[in-house]
Amino acid sequence: MTSEKRDLAPPTVEPLPPCAATCPAHTDVRGYVQAIARGDFEEAYRIAREPNPIPYICGKVCAHPCEDQCRRKDVDEPIAICALKRFATEKHDPRLGHAPRLTQAEPREEKVAIVGSGPGGLTAAHDLARMGYKVTVFEAYPRLGGTMQVGIPLYRLPRETIDLEIAPLKELGIEFVTNVRIADVDGLLSDGYRSVFIAVGSHVGAKLRLPNAELPDVWLNTEFLRRVALGEKIDLSHRNVLVLGGGNVAIDVARTAVRLGAAQVSMSFLESDETMPAHPWEIEEAKEEGILMYPSRTFKECVLDEGKLAGVKCIKVDFRGFKPDGALDIDEFVDTEHILAADLIIFSIGQGPDLSFLPKDGSIAQTKRRAIQVDPVTLATTKPGVFAGGDAVTRVGFIIDAVAAGHRAARSIDAYLRGVDPRTVQPDESEKLGAIQEKTISHIRKLEREPLPKTDAATRRATFDEVEHGYTETQAVRAALRCLTCGAGATVDTDKCIACLTCVRVCPFEVPGLERGTANVPVEQCQACGLCATECPAKAITMKLYSDDDMIQDIKRAIKRAKSDSEPAIVGFACRYCAYSGEEPKVVQARFPKNVKVIDVLCSGKVDSLYLLKAFEYGADAVFVAGCIVGECHNDKGNVHAGQRVAYVKKILDELGLNGARLEMFNTAPGECTSVVEDVIRLAAKVKELGSSPVPYPSRAGRSN
Amino acid sequence: MIKAKQKPIAEIKTLIAPYRNILILGCGTCVTISFAGGEKEVGMLASSLRIAAAMDKNAQLFTEATVQRQCEWEFIDAIADQIQKADAVISLACGIGVQALAERYPDKVILPGVNTTFLGMAIEHGVMVERCRACGDCILGLTGGVCPIARCAKNLLNGPCGGSQRGKCEVNPETDCAWQLIYDRLGKLGQLDRLSSLMTYKDWSKDYDGGPRKIVREDLKL
Ligand SMILES: Cc1cc2nc3c(=O)[nH]c(=O)nc-3n(C[C@H](O)[C@H](O)[C@H](O)COP(=O)(O)OP(=O)(O)OC[C@H]3O[C@@H](n4cnc5c(N)ncnc54)[C@H](O)[C@@H]3O)c2cc1C
Ligand code: SF4
Ligand code: SF4
Ligand code: SF4
Repeated sequence: MTSEKRDLAPPTVEPLPPCAATCPAHTDVRGYVQAIARGDFEEAYRIAREPNPIPYICGKVCAHPCEDQCRRKDVDEPIAICALKRFATEKHDPRLGHAPRLTQAEPREEKVAIVGSGPGGLTAAHDLARMGYKVTVFEAYPRLGGTMQVGIPLYRLPRETIDLEIAPLKELGIEFVTNVRIADVDGLLSDGYRSVFIAVGSHVGAKLRLPNAELPDVWLNTEFLRRVALGEKIDLSHRNVLVLGGGNVAIDVARTAVRLGAAQVSMSFLESDETMPAHPWEIEEAKEEGILMYPSRTFKECVLDEGKLAGVKCIKVDFRGFKPDGALDIDEFVDTEHILAADLIIFSIGQGPDLSFLPKDGSIAQTKRRAIQVDPVTLATTKPGVFAGGDAVTRVGFIIDAVAAGHRAARSIDAYLRGVDPRTVQPDESEKLGAIQEKTISHIRKLEREPLPKTDAATRRATFDEVEHGYTETQAVRAALRCLTCGAGATVDTDKCIACLTCVRVCPFEVPGLERGTANVPVEQCQACGLCATECPAKAITMKLYSDDDMIQDIKRAIKRAKSDSEPAIVGFACRYCAYSGEEPKVVQARFPKNVKVIDVLCSGKVDSLYLLKAFEYGADAVFVAGCIVGECHNDKGNVHAGQRVAYVKKILDELGLNGARLEMFNTAPGECTSVVEDVIRLAAKVKELGSSPVPYPSRAGRSN
Repeated sequence: MIKAKQKPIAEIKTLIAPYRNILILGCGTCVTISFAGGEKEVGMLASSLRIAAAMDKNAQLFTEATVQRQCEWEFIDAIADQIQKADAVISLACGIGVQALAERYPDKVILPGVNTTFLGMAIEHGVMVERCRACGDCILGLTGGVCPIARCAKNLLNGPCGGSQRGKCEVNPETDCAWQLIYDRLGKLGQLDRLSSLMTYKDWSKDYDGGPRKIVREDLKL
């Protein structure tokens, strides 16, 4: 339009969907989940890989805090974000490289030392190497990967997965030095390393100071897991193991003990069954493996029987958490003293970093809680040029926290080495998209979360083989199609909107409203179904993830591919939610005649009547739209609108003398993908009889417009 | 608002047959709201006409534009360049827009692409009905807010006629009898007594019968 109706509002900063906002590395979760939903698996891998040098590992064991915040949880259950990352890595063709499209800068002279090869150290090394620095990673243990290598049990993370991530880092030119425990940070600086990143993790397990806790049969979580991980053969058969602690690490300890043949494994902890700190899915799997839980207990003494460890003396408690001063907020119940029997006790009540290697002069300061003190923005320690991050700073954390810290440290170190203030190179914290309103939620279709295939509990008790397995393609696509595409919906161009109210009326989710005389689509509510954009008579609405131009290019390409045969060219628009009724699109499409080329859409309601006409304008001989049957649409009635548009355009085709029979709408019932195949074959036969469209191909229009 | 309906494509094809470079010009107000002549419809018509041209193997070229209101000089002046380049313009505006263009661009062929149909509203999405005939002398105050001029086929001032059947009009049984509606409304308002006095003749000179009408506001003139 030529008018300028009102001043443009200042550009607003787009809030991130909660998945990306919550991910410490701000992974574009929506992006890769949508790519999987579209069937573009390499793009999904690329997006998942970009902010994360260890996507294979994270796809298996990331603690996925994103899922707790995924907005789908307010509808039914969160998207299986982590499992979908795993799927993307499993689909990725390694010949395309570990980091498609990431570049490496010209080599620079400066050397940087990284202490610790956990996720924090590896990420910083990766980023700095890409920036051109000479990077050396020092690791105390014989194998690389930090806690991922010496903590996380094999049945959750096979070590080949770690190898997949390390090899490409070596190709970047990073030098890895194993079996070297750095004892002198200043020495590194005087050895020519211009900057140091300390990412030594948190590896010292803690014991309660109980009588007899120093006996040889009272072990520590971190040491136990490390011995097992590094290949020591430990036989626990005939042993009755009691793990003290209820967190995720305690679960790893207990489940490892099960696999080492223990006769009985139990866990006991302060918290109640409901407040047990481990992830619910970990608890469930532990219980499936026969681990007994003794919640709400405090421990008084490791008791002996004839000089041998016999168990732990406990008292039942009501534990309410920690007071502001750090003391336990707890009541002990009288007369509840009892003994939990065990001949091996493993403490798993937390761990802290070993900071004994820091300079004795205190030049690298520590916090009161015995962690390395850093500037939270730059991760700079109190010694110039020395930065620290990951568990060594936070004491506890997740892999992805350490990855984020690694990125932050790399940016700071680069700035520091270039003489720039590291504060100026860190991105601002992004805002998180708000919640979905009740009335919109009530219109969103409930879809079951796809469970990850797992080995059964009886089999897995006896082996360190992986418990969880990846999704198949069909499962992954189904899981990805549940994503609500948060924050990537419709945008109204207020200069073009004439407040006709069409969008307000057609939106199945009651999202658009009027504000200051024009339509307004609140970004946090829009479900990105696209109906308003296809119906707006003023063309005032655009969708964030696709445009009319993209679609028109797709249409031209589809016609070109369909025309390569001598048969008439048939172009279809197929809804990925339902046209294939849960089958793999590729498999269904393979059953279509060769002269049929399909453009996948997320809901047939996204197919504008203009796209149908354009397909004929550019030379298609027939066109179809495939959606689901009425009442089954993901977006309530997108399929109904599609059907109406098809009927309308059929009339136009008749008026043009092009024969409306060249355009069809197919509705597939759930579970009946054969029906769409039959429909398409029937259309192909009909078009063969009708012959080619009287619009010549390549059309003049096809070339010029 | 003004409601309009696109002309059949065959008719438009005939109208444009002599011309090669054709501008399809939409209007961003009433006809957009009536799904007849906004940017979306411009695109649809352009695509249809390109298909028609390709089928007929003629060399017509179509360009597309939409202005906010074709019934304002400033808006149509702003696209003078595009209009000058075209051999003919199909205007998807109401008759006012078509005439505004014809007046502003005296040497251009300006063709109507829609039939301007009535003044009305959408009673539901996709269903538009007539409500006003712009008779120039509104009597809605006497008829309970229902217009017998626009909504009674016979423009009766003292209805209903004998053809009112169970609330429907004998001319079109799908149409509500306007006088039944008036009766019902007045009943609700407790003003049925109005119907006992005859409405006198209406001054049709304020309607089209007095020739084209004009409103002048001396206070506003520049
Ligand atoms: C048993 C266990 C299971 C876990 N499971 C998960 C999980 O499933 N998902 C998840 O997201 N998080 C998990 N975590 C947490 C996660 O592993 C850590 O948050 C993460 O590894 C921290 O990374 P980092 O780089 O800070 O340190 P780390 O990964 O701990 O790496 C530090 C490295 O530094 C080395 N090092 C220490 N001192 C020196 C020195 N002086 N010189 C040279 N090298 C040194 C250490 O040997 C170690 O290899 C788990 C933690 C544990 C203990
Ligand atoms: S529904 Fe999709 S975009 Fe929204 S928070 Fe969940 S994963 Fe992210
Ligand atoms: S459909 Fe388009 S023109 Fe109509 S109110 Fe919505 S944005 Fe505005
Ligand atoms: S895209 Fe769909 S959900 Fe979003 S405002 Fe438009 S019609 Fe509503």
